[in-house]
Amino acid sequence: MFHLPWHIVLPTLLGTVLVGALCSALGTFVVRMNLSSLGFAMAHAAFAGAALGLMLSAAEPLWFALVFSLAVAAILGPLADASRMNADTILGVVFPVTMALGLVFLYAAPSSGIGSGALSLLWGSVLGVTMAQVAWLGILSVAVLVFLLAFGKELLALLLDRRLAEAAGMPTRATFYGVLFLIAVVVAVSLRITGGLLIYALMVLPASAAFQWAYDIKKVFVLAPALGVGSAFGGALLSLGADLPIGSAIALSATAVYLLSIAASPKRRRPR
Amino acid sequence: MDHPVVALDAIDAAYEGERSAALHSVTLHVRAGERLVIAGPNGAGKTTLLEVINGLLPFQHGEVHVFGRSVAAEGRRLRTRIAYMPQDLFFPPATPFLVRDVVMAARYAQIGPFRWPSAEDRRHVACALDAVGIQALAGRPVGRLSGGQQRKALLARALAQGSRLLLLDEPTANLDPVARDEVARVVSKVEEELGATALVVSHEAGPLRDGADRLVCIEDGRIVADTLQTPSRAALVPAGAF
Repeated sequence: MFHLPWHIVLPTLLGTVLVGALCSALGTFVVRMNLSSLGFAMAHAAFAGAALGLMLSAAEPLWFALVFSLAVAAILGPLADASRMNADTILGVVFPVTMALGLVFLYAAPSSGIGSGALSLLWGSVLGVTMAQVAWLGILSVAVLVFLLAFGKELLALLLDRRLAEAAGMPTRATFYGVLFLIAVVVAVSLRITGGLLIYALMVLPASAAFQWAYDIKKVFVLAPALGVGSAFGGALLSLGADLPIGSAIALSATAVYLLSIAASPKRRRPR
Repeated sequence: MDHPVVALDAIDAAYEGERSAALHSVTLHVRAGERLVIAGPNGAGKTTLLEVINGLLPFQHGEVHVFGRSVAAEGRRLRTRIAYMPQDLFFPPATPFLVRDVVMAARYAQIGPFRWPSAEDRRHVACALDAVGIQALAGRPVGRLSGGQQRKALLARALAQGSRLLLLDEPTANLDPVARDEVARVVSKVEEELGATALVVSHEAGPLRDGADRLVCIEDGRIVADTLQTPSRAALVPAGAF
């Protein structure tokens, strides 16, 4: 697919790089705070929301994705927060419901069906990215960076140990929900490129790989987006070169980075 | 007369979802500079008592005041002035935090929003690490430290916070005898350096108890003995007499 014109390839590559940085930066919270199930649930809710947008022939289905993923954060966040529901239960309830809803919405969509727009919601598309969307991703990236810098202390305290942070008088609940809602927004906005089924790979794998390399959380926050960008860019090239769905190509690329990190991790070397 | 630093009056407290109360009508007043050891069997309510004092556990009846202010009304603000060391916190080996960052985190709430630690904050952290004798470990990952070293890192946190009230929950739990004595020595040093009021939970006899001014015993959520200690002998006084 390298024969595609640059006005199509360029937004795809730029968008992919920004999505890689965003997802893996927030993935650091997902991995460290064991929010995997919640992130997974948000990704699938975003897919169901976007499918509803398609069914209603909305001009921008991703607004529906945003509402759905924010709703999951608002409803399930308090349950997970207070440990009233364990992670497996959240996943067990939300996954089948959101997938079923998403498929029902797609089935009822006027294009009847599973056209290319609908499929891109599932596993991403190199053709669906416009420069306007890239601009939105750029704005969101700046917003996330400002959030991380402005609330750095609160976030680091939360990542170290929530109980210690609370005991020291930090606003842990507000910080936790800030992180959760930001993840929901990033998931919804990234849906177009990576697809609802595989966005989760970009959120978890580069951050998990970064944790293999560093004992200092501040280094993890630099490494995770770097690995995320590398995984996403590599996946985009693979997709363009081998004519693969971009979401799948990114997931494979991120998996390779993760496995290499596991194999070469200094944390796993035995002292001689 | 000065207000007590900690004042609990007729406190009943229960954990969420549990019918029976963990504390029953507990009254306890602690004066400034007092060193108090809380003893009792497992499940007696020792940790619950500390959690009620720093506002982490809501109580159903009674009043709790710290530094003369209501914990129910100002819990989070008060916690910035209380150093708390939980009982069962050990950092696993993969914990991605360096020792100096763990200690610095105790100052975050005082630094306030939208600001990063200053040179003065870093100096406080260096002094705290020095005081507990782990300055050389500042750049090490906290999860790579031994149990005793981790407890010292948490004590350095308490020192770096600069609080005048220490709540230490079993600071020598799960340590071998050598590490236990060393941590107990550091606890005493920290209490002296801060000139702080200290409530220390410890259910084992040893240097922590020996150095206390007062021994409070809890059983089944009730204070059953409140003893003033002197180096020569202990005198039993009625519960809640202060």
